[in-house]
Amino acid sequence: MKAKKKVVISTEVRRSKAPKSGKRAFPPVWSEDSGAGRPIGAGRKVETSGDASSRPRVETGSAAVADLGAHVVARPTMSQREALDRVDLSVDIAPQRGLLLLNPILVASGTFGYGVEYGEVVDVQRLGAICCKGTTLRPRAGNPPPRVTETPGGMLNAIGLQNPGVDAVIEKYGPIWQGWQVPVIVNIAGESIEDYVEVARRLDGVPGVAGIELNISCPNVGKGGLQFAIDKDAARAVTAAVRRATELPLLVKLSPNVTDVRPIAKAIEEAGADAICAINTLSGLAVSVDRTRAFLGNTYGGLSGPAIKPVALRIVYEVAQVVSIPIVAIGGVTNLDDVLDFFACGAVAVQVGTALFADPELPVRLGDELRAECLRRGLTSYKPLIGTALPARTGAPSAKGAEYRP
Amino acid sequence: MRLVAAELVESRQILPGQWIQSFHAPELATGSRAGQFVHVRTGDYSGLVLRRPFSINTADPATGIVTLHFRTVGRGTEWMTRVREGERIDMLGPLGRPFEIDSRSHNLLLVAGGLGMAGVRMLADEAVRGGRRVTILFGALSASHVYPSSLLPDEVEYVVATDDGSLGHHGFVTELVPEYEAWADQAFACGPHPMLKRLAALAAGRRDRLGVAKLGRKRGGPTDPLGSAAARRKSFLQVSMEQNMGCAVGACLGCIVIGVAGPQRVCREGPVFAADEIAWESIS
Repeated sequence: MKAKKKVVISTEVRRSKAPKSGKRAFPPVWSEDSGAGRPIGAGRKVETSGDASSRPRVETGSAAVADLGAHVVARPTMSQREALDRVDLSVDIAPQRGLLLLNPILVASGTFGYGVEYGEVVDVQRLGAICCKGTTLRPRAGNPPPRVTETPGGMLNAIGLQNPGVDAVIEKYGPIWQGWQVPVIVNIAGESIEDYVEVARRLDGVPGVAGIELNISCPNVGKGGLQFAIDKDAARAVTAAVRRATELPLLVKLSPNVTDVRPIAKAIEEAGADAICAINTLSGLAVSVDRTRAFLGNTYGGLSGPAIKPVALRIVYEVAQVVSIPIVAIGGVTNLDDVLDFFACGAVAVQVGTALFADPELPVRLGDELRAECLRRGLTSYKPLIGTALPARTGAPSAKGAEYRP
Repeated sequence: MRLVAAELVESRQILPGQWIQSFHAPELATGSRAGQFVHVRTGDYSGLVLRRPFSINTADPATGIVTLHFRTVGRGTEWMTRVREGERIDMLGPLGRPFEIDSRSHNLLLVAGGLGMAGVRMLADEAVRGGRRVTILFGALSASHVYPSSLLPDEVEYVVATDDGSLGHHGFVTELVPEYEAWADQAFACGPHPMLKRLAALAAGRRDRLGVAKLGRKRGGPTDPLGSAAARRKSFLQVSMEQNMGCAVGACLGCIVIGVAGPQRVCREGPVFAADEIAWESIS
């Protein structure tokens, strides 16, 4: 039945489904001299055959490049502002259930609190989405200090999932999130499958909660978290259990601290996740100044920042070749080139984390820069940038998050 | 809290390895209070991913000048010493909660250890401006590390202790405190955590030793909630705590110290705490 679904490349068709496109309604992209009244390729629908065994895929590799005609802006007379406005950055990162973001730049869990902390310096409404601090069933005090330290090109943190518990989070921040246009994705963590399920159940139906990011990969808590990310059967079990507990869009965040991430990603997809987030931090260590002990209160910490970008790229690249659900990339994004690299490796969206600390305005600026970059390349959507670096024919990534509609 | 492009107007080395830099940043100079800090972005070409927090050393609303006092301890602070006059650096601030002076306090005791002077320096200005008497007790390793008295307001009494006895009292600065505890109405401190811990122990026993009346509401009345500005104002000792910091706005939960009511973010609930908010047994 999946195979019956249509793969649509037309930007117009997607636009018409985007609920928030009213104000920035997509202007027609045809030019007066175009006989058909639309640019070459626009509105062309690719129908997959009815063959049940063949998965519908959008060829986003070389095929997408050949399809650039569909995204050409043919109005040189337009003012720059209007031209920028018609670049479509919206993306649905959970196509089965619907989690539409106005742009593909999110802020990563743990670096943006609950979205209110940076409110005075960042226009949160212009973010693609906010992934809030890891939330557990019961309040957690977290690890003893010190909890963070800078490392070459990155930082180590061992917060230990300090949070007031899911009920307090819902009570305190739910009403605030409800008033926001920007979707808030609640990152959840637990020590057992029952914990995860219960947190998900309590979040289900809460106004202001747009989705769940399943944190099965926190390296900084003794029990729970990471064990679910290093074993494919455990990952499958927890994903499936949470999937049954909630109708919210479900993202699952992978750990890089594994030998081969692909079977785990595959298991998570099969268990019903809507999207995969990759990656969480790498487990690391720092030594105290007097070299008599580990520096961090928790001994181990999670490494993040530009230092881990190559690892994140590798994992996104691998995962993109085995799953067909959207991938949200995380790991060392500090500028537009990093964003484009992750797109090229198959991600449909990226999360900005550590770089926020130095530059809180970065995520909003990246959205603007991505828009300008699309315009510079003559694109009305960033979707053609996705998966261009993946090997052709060995299973191109899905751009389902981008292009696919049931 | 806002992002400010602060222009460096003067940079000078006041002691070996210690610098005071003056920045033109009217937004910070008018909006900040003693005890608050700024989060400074250092050059990102050197692979530094975090900002550096600095106490606001002084702030002059009339000229729009704020100064920062720091020691070169790593690549971030070394980068700062190489910033040229006229260049702008990115600061986030003012951040954190300030020191609170009770309106009935006339005699203020400021205790600083080493770089801790940067934490209480602005409070001396505020107190002198308010017509209060100020004594600063300052502790350092040796005479060559002693903060120059010329950089302090004339009205301040300045007492120095050095660990090696090369200037002033021979020993820790905390040993000077008992002489002043009867005189002082309130005490404010910034410095190494062991020093603050010792001061907190002294402050806890002060009321019993002196038999002084408790400031604030009478027994039995409603008490101010722990961590509120009113509670800090009525506390005899306020301390400015230090911790490795990430975001500095309360989002990352990286910079906590353990308080009696659980983990406290130095950047949001602090850096200034009433001494009885901190679980001192957790501080080493």
